[in-house]
Amino acid sequence: MTMTRQGFLRLVLAASVAPVGAGLALAQQGDILVGATVPITGPLSLTGKQYHNALQLAEQDINAAGGVNGRKIKIVFEDTQASNSTAVNAFMKLAQETKPAFYFLSSYSTQNLATSPELKKIAVPAMYAGGADIVAEGGNEWLFRVRPADAVSARGMVEAAKLLNAKKPGIIFIQNDFGQGGAQIAAKQFEAAGTPVVGMEAYGQNDKDFSAQMISLRGKGADVILLFNYPQDGALLLRQAKMLGLKMPLVTSSAALVPAALQLISPADLDNVWGVVDAYMDPSVGGRMAEFVARYKKAFGIDPDPYGLAYYDGALIMAEGMRKVGLDPKALRDWLVNLRDWPGIGHVYTFDAKGNGVSDLAIVKARSGTKTLELVKAVKLD
Amino acid sequence: MRRYHSLLAAVAILALGGLLSLVLADYRLRLLNVSVISAIAVIGFNFAFGLAGLISLGHAAFVGLGAYTLAILSTAFGWSPWLAIPVAILVTTLFAGLIGYPLLRLRGHYLALATLGLNVSFTIVVTNWISLTGGTNGISGIPELRLGAFAFNDERRFLWLGLVLLALCAAFAVTLQRSRYGRAMMAVRDDETAARMTGIDVTRVKITALCLSAAFAALSGTLFATHVRFVAPEDFNYAHSIIYLAMLIVGGEGAVAGAVIGAALLTFLPEWLRFLGDAYLAFFGLMLLAILIFLPTGLVGLAAQLRRLGGHREAETTS
Amino acid sequence: MADFIQLFINGLALGSVYALAAIGFVIVYSATGVVNFAAGQFVMFGTFAGVAMLANAGLPWPVGYAAALLAMAAFGALFFIVVYLPLRTSPVVTVIIGTVAVGIVMQNAALLGFGSWPFRLVSPLEGITIDIGGAAISAHAAMVVVVTGLLVGLIWLLFYRTALGIGMRAVAQDVEAARLMGLNVNRLLALSWMLAAVLAGIAGLLLGPMWFADVNMGDPIALKAFAATIIGGFGSLPGAIAGGLFVGLTELLGASYLSSAYKDLIAFAVMILFLLVRPQGVFGERIQDRG
Repeated sequence: MTMTRQGFLRLVLAASVAPVGAGLALAQQGDILVGATVPITGPLSLTGKQYHNALQLAEQDINAAGGVNGRKIKIVFEDTQASNSTAVNAFMKLAQETKPAFYFLSSYSTQNLATSPELKKIAVPAMYAGGADIVAEGGNEWLFRVRPADAVSARGMVEAAKLLNAKKPGIIFIQNDFGQGGAQIAAKQFEAAGTPVVGMEAYGQNDKDFSAQMISLRGKGADVILLFNYPQDGALLLRQAKMLGLKMPLVTSSAALVPAALQLISPADLDNVWGVVDAYMDPSVGGRMAEFVARYKKAFGIDPDPYGLAYYDGALIMAEGMRKVGLDPKALRDWLVNLRDWPGIGHVYTFDAKGNGVSDLAIVKARSGTKTLELVKAVKLD
Repeated sequence: MRRYHSLLAAVAILALGGLLSLVLADYRLRLLNVSVISAIAVIGFNFAFGLAGLISLGHAAFVGLGAYTLAILSTAFGWSPWLAIPVAILVTTLFAGLIGYPLLRLRGHYLALATLGLNVSFTIVVTNWISLTGGTNGISGIPELRLGAFAFNDERRFLWLGLVLLALCAAFAVTLQRSRYGRAMMAVRDDETAARMTGIDVTRVKITALCLSAAFAALSGTLFATHVRFVAPEDFNYAHSIIYLAMLIVGGEGAVAGAVIGAALLTFLPEWLRFLGDAYLAFFGLMLLAILIFLPTGLVGLAAQLRRLGGHREAETTS
Repeated sequence: MADFIQLFINGLALGSVYALAAIGFVIVYSATGVVNFAAGQFVMFGTFAGVAMLANAGLPWPVGYAAALLAMAAFGALFFIVVYLPLRTSPVVTVIIGTVAVGIVMQNAALLGFGSWPFRLVSPLEGITIDIGGAAISAHAAMVVVVTGLLVGLIWLLFYRTALGIGMRAVAQDVEAARLMGLNVNRLLALSWMLAAVLAGIAGLLLGPMWFADVNMGDPIALKAFAATIIGGFGSLPGAIAGGLFVGLTELLGASYLSSAYKDLIAFAVMILFLLVRPQGVFGERIQDRG
């Protein structure tokens, strides 16, 4: 056996830079590889764990149902942590070493904005659950969204405010891509409806006291307040509103109603609170929803949230596409573009020209004296 | 002799980096690119911290200012990124000079806290000045760098560009460090009063060091922006300032080689230690603490110590 | 007017938490000359000590609070041995970065132990609100203000009326002289770290029920405590209190009367302004080469 000096050098160099975890063959021969970049560690893992779980559940279910024409799928996860550049690194690692036929990207929009140019170069379809509208506006034809865009959520919240007969709506929003974007869209919608907002107040991601924002809106006579929040601050907002004795109804975005947030508040904090959730996930809906909730809880010990459900549905759509048109990225993409009214558990999916697959959501409120959510109205927007 | 050292640094970077660029595949090339971009920022940081002894916890704000200037000029105003790079460097350097005058009267922990406050303020402003910076959505669609038909749009090509710039930066830094100016900076670091007595204009030396560090930071920021082609406020928060600091400490403060080695090591380390999962950052903190206690001169210092030890033994056997 | 009272008292409660964190920071700085960049993580540890004792171990609250503070004192002693002693003779830069490194370790150790799931710590005064001039003040927030006031008094007594406290101050002023006077310097330095850890623990226990406990809460608190210390004056107890209350009040009144988006900028701008114009703060030490 001979080894050229150059070949040897190459080996030494490659080994010196990649001593650990270099390109192990992860899958058995014949498995279809799917890549997923998920915040598994760090502060964003609170949401990330949900779809980390859900994708594993989907993998089991797809394979139990015979896989894709007899071939099993294998989802390879890479951690994005809480950083845009780590998210791109994670994506590049998959693209380089795993070469998956399909991707699931994180639900954090800035991570996806950072990854988007790389995805476009590789030209393989990817699904994501981030809300920011700007991700879809970027003109990347390989990105498919499996949750309502923030614009849809914001319009849903405006719809809820209208049901509450809002004449002088106020808005409190978190200073991140979700809050800033959603608040602006909602303000425009109110403007168009002839009931312009009386005030918009911001708060930082780490803020702990919102009395200034709430008192300011109360002083301006707001009769409904929309809250664009993340889970933990959302729970805190609802508690402090009760402590301050705010009388007007509140409409919160879905984050304050996920399990991680609900466990922080008491039933009284949900009094007079409406919310907008991606999908009404109560077992009482029955059918596939009840089954999904029960199986998820049994497998992972926590209640599923809409993020997990979105990725689960997404994975089943992907498997169906692969069964129909195979693994060719272009064919798979075209199949997704032309998909109409695919019945998932959370939604009926139809992808528009910008890759948005979901245009419906649910307005909910807590049953009096409990933290159980009940459906007020399912909203379909076009 | 002086020229020889700077040449050596540049040649070493180009040779090693060039070799790696040929044998590595895309993903690791990306990490190398990230290392090169960080290394330029850390070489800059070395002027302020390693040479002049200014404890700054706000270096990421300078990187961010450079990145955002390029991003805004090349998207909203449609400038060529080539033209935007020098402007971004100029803007950042001017900014550093402007804040340097009042800020650099502070020392030690006062300066550390002031620069930390500066970094936090920078994040607040870019997060909320939505009409200019896009807020937390950041700025996407930054054009790629290209020379005629040759676009620096894949990792290997970008690395070549990055390596050339890094080599130039390193050569410049080595030359400067061994020059009168470099010695003046170190004199200020070691003993301000004594430096003043020998006729060094302490304020000017400090401001020069800060401006140089900001200029390198801005160059690093423009490369970051044209590499990822997306910038957001969180890419430049104070946690990144602490990482630049850690890179220099691990590599060895006061040394250009230390800056480069530290930047590369701390970029690759999380990838090598991925199996640690959530425990990685805890490990990272412990490692940093251990280096501070046991290896205060960093890896470069360790190498020098070993060399001295080896030399000593040789001397013993020959005598 | 009711609105103003509401904001003012909420601001005082918020400011009291910052002040307590700042006092822990100042005690360590005065006694040992170390700028503790892990101060925020100390507070976070205090909150989680409460979570561990009250929520996880299910201890009744007086016992649980005491156990949590004991744990914090032990942690202060550990910190003294593992971090302070080895770095004692290093340059100030190294010590600063050392505490930054320890902060990273602490935050991620808590993440490993408790996960990213947020916790709710229940207050002994849960659900009680007091009506003051039309403003609804939670009893817990009022208690925070009162406890902070009491603690400040106790610390003053300790430092100026007990042999132990006078010894601690002597060490802070001149280690060599204190040693010559026959004081056990290491024991007094260790006590300073333990005292700082206990104060951070109290801050953590007090804010746990007002906010929720999560492992990332340390840094934001530390940033505000730093601003408070600079504004009040490095190394000054009254300064830490005045600074903490100022930062807390600016945060709420600024958000209300100026801009909620830029309210944090106000505190940091004031901090930088102080650094530039009056770095010794309102009450602080004369600037010297100590740093």
